[in-house]
Amino acid sequence: MQISNLTVRYGAIEAIRDVTFTAMPSRITAVLGANGAGKTTLLRTISGLVQPASGSIVIEGVELIGRATDDIARLGVGHVPEGRGVIAEFTVEENLRLGAMAFDIDLAAGLDEQYQQFPVLGERRKQYASTLSGGERQMLAMARALIAQPRLLLLDEPSLGLAPLVAAELMTTIRELCATKNLSVLLVEQNAKGALRIADDAVVLSVGRVVANGSAAEVASDDQLRQYYLGLVQ
Amino acid sequence: MKITQILLRLRYSSLGRLVLALLGTVVAICVVLLVSAQSDTYIANAGAMTIAILGLSLLTGWSGQVSIGNSGFMAVGAFTTGIWANHHQSSPIIISLLLSILTGAIAGLLVGIPATRLKGPYLAGMTLAFVTAMVPFIQSLGKLTGGSGGLFFANLSSPSWFANLSGDPQNFIVANYRWAATVSVVITGVAYYFMSNLFASRAGRAMRLVRDNDVAAELMGVNLGRVRVGAFVISAAYAGLAGSLVALLSGVARADNFGLALSIEILSLLVLGGIGTLSGALMAGLLAAYASTLIAKLNALFGLNPYSNLGSNSQGIIFGLLLVVTMLTAPQGMAGLLKKISHLRARKEAE
Amino acid sequence: MGAFFTSRIVSDILIGAAQGVLVGLIALSLVLIWQSTHVLNFAQGAMAMFAAFCGMTMLEHGLNYWVCVLISLVAAMLLGGVTERVLVRPLYGKAEINSIVVMVGFLGILESGASSIWSGMARQLTSPLSQTYFTLGSKTLYLSPFSLFQIGSALTLMLGVAALFRFTKIGLQLRASALAPEVSRLLGVRVSRMLTLGWIISSAVGAFAAIIIATSGSGLFPSNMDGFFVFGFIAAAIGGLESPGGAILAGLLIGIIQTFVADYLSPSWVAFTPVLILVLSQLVRPAGIFTKNTTRRL
Repeated sequence: MQISNLTVRYGAIEAIRDVTFTAMPSRITAVLGANGAGKTTLLRTISGLVQPASGSIVIEGVELIGRATDDIARLGVGHVPEGRGVIAEFTVEENLRLGAMAFDIDLAAGLDEQYQQFPVLGERRKQYASTLSGGERQMLAMARALIAQPRLLLLDEPSLGLAPLVAAELMTTIRELCATKNLSVLLVEQNAKGALRIADDAVVLSVGRVVANGSAAEVASDDQLRQYYLGLVQ
Repeated sequence: MKITQILLRLRYSSLGRLVLALLGTVVAICVVLLVSAQSDTYIANAGAMTIAILGLSLLTGWSGQVSIGNSGFMAVGAFTTGIWANHHQSSPIIISLLLSILTGAIAGLLVGIPATRLKGPYLAGMTLAFVTAMVPFIQSLGKLTGGSGGLFFANLSSPSWFANLSGDPQNFIVANYRWAATVSVVITGVAYYFMSNLFASRAGRAMRLVRDNDVAAELMGVNLGRVRVGAFVISAAYAGLAGSLVALLSGVARADNFGLALSIEILSLLVLGGIGTLSGALMAGLLAAYASTLIAKLNALFGLNPYSNLGSNSQGIIFGLLLVVTMLTAPQGMAGLLKKISHLRARKEAE
Repeated sequence: MGAFFTSRIVSDILIGAAQGVLVGLIALSLVLIWQSTHVLNFAQGAMAMFAAFCGMTMLEHGLNYWVCVLISLVAAMLLGGVTERVLVRPLYGKAEINSIVVMVGFLGILESGASSIWSGMARQLTSPLSQTYFTLGSKTLYLSPFSLFQIGSALTLMLGVAALFRFTKIGLQLRASALAPEVSRLLGVRVSRMLTLGWIISSAVGAFAAIIIATSGSGLFPSNMDGFFVFGFIAAAIGGLESPGGAILAGLLIGIIQTFVADYLSPSWVAFTPVLILVLSQLVRPAGIFTKNTTRRL
């Protein structure tokens, strides 16, 4: 996926300014930065929930800008929004079925696959999503996106509100998924440390601009970046 | 340009508002005395509509509560006036008017206390339920209200000094029209003056705060329930006054005339004029004066027989269309459009 | 046993239930739209009336009753869909007052429009089923073939709508679009189509109620849904606007209570009874009897 010269405005405020970077296929690209850096806006723009002022987003030769959100989803872009977006009034299985609804896939096989990947969801398939814990909800949200077999997965703060141990497990799962499913992941995180541990590449945003872009190892070893933008003190 | 600016600035002081109201009333009376008797009947009825619109503007525009039941409160006022007039034929009209304000307010309190606990569509639905129940209810009180036939009583007639003053003392019919319009204009002026003071007062500000953000208003110490009920009661009192005036002008009170259609008409005029501004309510009143003439002219223009199915219903269709189109394209109404135009002009002058 | 079925209380319940299912249908129609688009459709009764006119006036041209019903339902679906696309779509995300005003304006257009097309006179619709009450011995049992059809078809329609929402793929998407439109879009669900579909279903349910009301009662005329719409709204509000089951139940109760009021107190109190019930229910539970509490946001 290539993002070039993307600018997004909310009224007079520029939430994203002239952002350009490329997310390579089958790799995890971490998008890092402080609160208000424009990370969530970036994901929402990719999914068509926010219309940019200018710029382009191309995935496998297809321009996404100007397309409706549901069309973009059908092109194979899975988006797990901030706060997970699990439908609490639905059961676990209904949530998963909803995720498969728009796609031409074998529902039973898809459900089986997700229950194997996340056994706890299989145990709770008849329970309402409102009864799940935070970590289980995050798994449900990921499973619901994965059942559609996306080629690009957008994850918005998946570890937010999770206990450190659960968050670490989740990061490992994301790493495994990326490796086994041939999946590209754009991972937005405030928890820079956890994200850099599993990411291949990293983009650092500050007040809507790209301030660094490189391999995760490079970003992780840059002391200035760590101190000023990522809040990681030695 | 300069004069309008001075006039506009007047509304910021209480003396200025008094001067404005007086000035407007005097100008309106001059108009009443100059135009034809036919126009005077339009102006007289427009006064009543303006009062009802002012009341709804307060409720909807300032406190954010939509009512489609204000014609029900107008019915209360009209029947109060009618019943009083039939029992105390010689009492001055001011008593009828004050009584109608009172009964309107009491009815507003009775409906308002439960209704204002509801929000948005619930409240609007509740007022709709009120008005649809009110018509058969009034009709069922046959002894008091004359049933579905309605109540008949003496309408306004000109005192002899006014007949002398207004020109031809022999022509009492014309003098009666002039007198009715003058009374209506004066009452409207008083109603407007009170509303403009309320708009500038603490209570008015509290209402607008409740409309814009009720939770914040509550946190700032505004008593939500009291403000909402208060707005509802004042609005109903204005409707009662308007209903009383309608009854006095025609000498009839019929429940049918105060049904849902009237509520929709008031709401349409308010939206067209501009919700939540005094100038919008006044423009809506002017529109009310000439709406039926305009529609009759339109009917004639398109060669419609006014008694045909389409001709007799064109008013309803046009009002409905205007309501929908205004809300979808210019939700601030005429007042909003004028403001936009004057802003644009000011910007051009600055350049 | 026969004495029981023809007793005053049972008679009132039977008459009330026949009315109540119709109120319930209107309430259901309102809730379907409210849930998905958060618009209280003040024009719902008028839309139903208009659609009923489109089909049922064909009776005068000798068409079969059921064919006319079918035409009306198709007209209702068209009207519902077009209304959502043209009038309601621009209102999403706007202040509540905007949608109230637009729908009230639409109500005015439809009622005046119907008067100008078909005149304001009431038309009697010849019922395909007898409306004469059955008798048990010398006493009247307050059920007729038509009222049985009325109750039966209304209940079937309600169950049908429930099954559509509960058990079908489309139903799952309809519910998801109402509960979480943004998330549904992210999952590729065609949310805007679902909203239109919601209006289509709601409009058909309302039109069916309007046809039955016009056949069983005072005939078809432009304002003949005003009263029923108010009762339907009150039933929906008592149920909390979010609960289809609650709305139907409240509708049934309103019908039965009204019949008791008319029989034991006075017919002139009938119109006020639902208003009083609404006030009482709101005093007990402002958010509706059948909904959970919600928080208010700044």
